[in-house]
Amino acid sequence: MALPQRKTDIGPPNFEQFLPPVIKKNYGKWKYHEVLTPGTMVHVAESGDKLWTVRVASPRLIATDTIREHCDIAEKYCDGHLRYTTRNNVEFLVSDESKLEPLKKDLTARGFKMGGIGYGISNIVHTQGWVHCHSAATDASGLVKSMMDELYEYFESKRLPNKLRLAVACCVNMCGAVHCSDIAIVAVHTKIPTIAHANFKNMCELPTVIGSCPTRAISPDTAQKSVKINPEKCMFCGNCFTVCPPMSIKDPERDGIAIVVGGKVSTLRTNPKFSKLVIPYISNEPPRWPKVVAAVKHIVEVYAANARKHERVGEWIERVGWERFFSLTGIDFTFHSIDDFTFMRDTLRTSPAFKW
Amino acid sequence: MKKYNTPLIDDLEKGPWPSFVTEMKKAAKNNEMANDALGHLEKCYSTKVGYWKHGGIVGVLGYGGGVIGRYSELGEEFPGVAHFHTVRLNQPSGFFYTSKALKEICDIWDKYGSGLTNMHGSTGDVVLLGCRTESLEAVFAEYSSRGWDLGSSGSALRTPSCCVGPARCEWANYDTLGLNYALTQEFQDEMHRPSFSYKFKFKLSGCACDCVASLARSDMSIIGTWKGNIVIDQAEVKNYAKNGMDINAEIVNMCPTQCISYDGKEMKIDNAECNRCMHCIAKMTKALKPSGEKGATICIGSKAPIVVGSLLSWVIVPFIKLEPPYTELKDLIRKIWDWWDENAKPRERIGEVIEMKGMRSFLEYIGVPPMPQQIKEPRKDPFMFYTEDDIASFKTKEAEEKKTGKYKF
Amino acid sequence: METAELQDKIFAFVQAAQGKKKLKEKDIINGMNAETGIDKDVVKKAMRGMIDVGRLMYSYGGGASSVEIPSEEYLREKGLIK
Repeated sequence: MALPQRKTDIGPPNFEQFLPPVIKKNYGKWKYHEVLTPGTMVHVAESGDKLWTVRVASPRLIATDTIREHCDIAEKYCDGHLRYTTRNNVEFLVSDESKLEPLKKDLTARGFKMGGIGYGISNIVHTQGWVHCHSAATDASGLVKSMMDELYEYFESKRLPNKLRLAVACCVNMCGAVHCSDIAIVAVHTKIPTIAHANFKNMCELPTVIGSCPTRAISPDTAQKSVKINPEKCMFCGNCFTVCPPMSIKDPERDGIAIVVGGKVSTLRTNPKFSKLVIPYISNEPPRWPKVVAAVKHIVEVYAANARKHERVGEWIERVGWERFFSLTGIDFTFHSIDDFTFMRDTLRTSPAFKW
Repeated sequence: MKKYNTPLIDDLEKGPWPSFVTEMKKAAKNNEMANDALGHLEKCYSTKVGYWKHGGIVGVLGYGGGVIGRYSELGEEFPGVAHFHTVRLNQPSGFFYTSKALKEICDIWDKYGSGLTNMHGSTGDVVLLGCRTESLEAVFAEYSSRGWDLGSSGSALRTPSCCVGPARCEWANYDTLGLNYALTQEFQDEMHRPSFSYKFKFKLSGCACDCVASLARSDMSIIGTWKGNIVIDQAEVKNYAKNGMDINAEIVNMCPTQCISYDGKEMKIDNAECNRCMHCIAKMTKALKPSGEKGATICIGSKAPIVVGSLLSWVIVPFIKLEPPYTELKDLIRKIWDWWDENAKPRERIGEVIEMKGMRSFLEYIGVPPMPQQIKEPRKDPFMFYTEDDIASFKTKEAEEKKTGKYKF
Repeated sequence: METAELQDKIFAFVQAAQGKKKLKEKDIINGMNAETGIDKDVVKKAMRGMIDVGRLMYSYGGGASSVEIPSEEYLREKGLIK
């Protein structure tokens, strides 16, 4: 069959055609919203119109048949309208209250999980991992699944002092920009790249490779028409591998997981912050990564027990002090948490006022 | 179809959270590619290492992005993933869909690809995972003829994305969806034909809650704000108190500028001292509302840690009005790209170039004056550049002071 | 200069860099502008015309996009040669 005529530079469809009528009518005229349960909220417009949102968990990696099921549900209860969220949840929107309970009942019957709104844990943003990335030091989807199974009650029902945002990056490239999350998992390499010298000349540009190294550990190896790496300077970032595939940095026994905490992006109360390194290394243990999951759950629980209402993880830690964070959590403090790279000046303590 | 034994990833079908393995198996039922992807992933789990090669040179004719080449090192063992390219489809603003549109996307994808998707990728696109090179032109023809264009990849403007904004949020200070659509349409060429030194991202948030994390992960973060007072509905304040809110502990004491007071009856805000952090408004949305002029703060430069550390975006334009056709913003964007283009080395994000060349050089080029709103604190080092013009302007000021007999600092 | 002549010059410029340097769009535009004095927008338009018909192509490698001469495999896949 002949293909239809391609069009270029048309851009995405105009979103207006996808908005439910209640949204079109009240666009920009919402008055307030209320969180009814961790899975539902209602927005009330100046006109008095109401819009109920039911938020449903998704593993992000979904089959077309699951999208079709989302569509079927939307057709049954929402006149065919639905949306997805930045954190990869699905949202069903109803303007007729009588449809709300039947929708929720149907979702439950089909096995969909509702939650993620308000002061708990929403879906984890994550990268592709072994499912689809060349640079992955671990799998992201498996880590997310393992963590969310263990933290599920915080999605569905149990509440925390504030929302807690989790993220997973399967290497330090951090495609999902996970570096401002309450708790983030980042997979790390720990060995210097091995170089397939024979392929270097054909696949890599010497100046680009040398310039890619943040610590200037790479220099030309003229004899081999390749490069060499100073092992004392290499911090295993893998940026050279990104620009030069023959510089392989994967290592199944040495790749692992680091945990960073205390980041946020909103300006509420305090300024946005980066997440900071607290656990430098945990071995990669698929399919369930038990130690990583236990560490994250432990940090969540210590936060829940110690933070004041409305404090995000980073705000709580700043109030009590990082030395207190380490004593409360019992996490070993290591040299790795002392910055010896670009943020050293900003992060070392310059005052003798601290706690024991 | 080959049946793979997948004990490791089968374990990830247990537990309450929806399982991506179940999804892969669903797609694998009638799709060879998805089936081989399943076997391929089990292999990764058993050896603890990935087998995908670097992206290759694939795409649709005329475009330089939107398709990410992906080949497996194990193409012979798993022929269904020998080619497993990603197709990025540009999502509609705010991720709103109708079932009709989504089903159409699914039908085309089942016809040509693996049946696996990400709803959505980190940048915002609909990510269609797993397609052979020879199907790409057909996929593009099918989608584009039905109104869907490709998203972006490579050294280009990446697919812009935005928060839900005025569609379903009382805090949106500008039309995030409308602006997102307008920018995406305006810069189609910059998205599809990579002409930049590296990637460039826009993220649009309607307020400082920043639900799309624009401040952390976009070269240009456009964050809604306002200039007027916070309007207080005292009756609703009373309701919050009645319903158990400890207004002094939760609101007054948590205000970063200490500009709120509450005597048990009435709430007062010293609006001149408010820094618009959004805490009180977000916690008392029925009682407090921004008013007056609405617009956005433009911040520049955030990125993930590679190469020399993460950056958060820096405030460059403290306030800009954002109304169609957004001419002022579009002009500003073009100037910013011009400066970046002039000064960037390969693979340098704009934040890194500003660090190298200095904020002054950047601001002067784009025509933005220095303002205290741009900094957290003034410089600490006494080494600085004085141009001849700088000194001349200091001298002129002093000459005037001599005339008027009054100092102007 | 006729567009066809300019395009031949662009092709020669890209050919000369082949295997030595990955050229970005900007490198070609600036390079041709320096060599011929032709306006950058004109060069860009001529180059885009070549990319649209597969005489040149966008490539991606080493973490960045570039412009290259298409391989036979690419042209065959696009149905531009048999």
